[in-house]
Amino acid sequence: MFDYESMVTRQRKWMLYLLAIMVLGAGFLPHPRIFNGLLLGTVVSFYNLWLLQHKTTYLANAVASNSKIRGGLGTFSRLAAVMLAVLIAIRFEEHFHIIALVVGIVTSYVVLGLDLTLRMFSYKKKHKENKDK
Amino acid sequence: MAALAAAIAIGLAALGAGLGNGMIVSKTVEGIARQPELKGSLQGTMFIGVALVEAIPIIAAVIAFMAIFM
Repeated sequence: MFDYESMVTRQRKWMLYLLAIMVLGAGFLPHPRIFNGLLLGTVVSFYNLWLLQHKTTYLANAVASNSKIRGGLGTFSRLAAVMLAVLIAIRFEEHFHIIALVVGIVTSYVVLGLDLTLRMFSYKKKHKENKDK
Repeated sequence: MAALAAAIAIGLAALGAGLGNGMIVSKTVEGIARQPELKGSLQGTMFIGVALVEAIPIIAAVIAFMAIFM
């Protein structure tokens, strides 16, 4: 059901679209503090998504090829990145809106959930069409 | 009190995420080791599971930092 490579590419593509929208918002719309927070949060969220994808691929390849060298999944790196973003937002409060930062941080989870839901619907539709034939 | 609240928030979230991630990864590794041809499907499922489990400690870390510094 899951074509992992295409799922990963799709998620990165949607995150890049969202990042582009936020850069435009920070540059041209009248609330730069909110958009700066969103932008910082989305950058960290994108980094977290990329790291998880990279580590998952690495771990699965290592297990499949029976390699002795196995890394972790990078949980602490992701937590540290989020903590750094929150510290930056608290330190430079006049430039970053903290709630917008939190919304930005959960962007990748929203993208992941929407992508999974859309895939499920298209899979069910295809399955039903094949059954009808 | 704020430091205690932050410690409890991060500690419990990390405990839950550690147990959850451990279960997901151990079963996936077991599955891939048994049937390497199912690697794509299993790593996709693991990726989604780990991402959803890790959302909670990440939000807990944000709340803990806000409790300490704001």
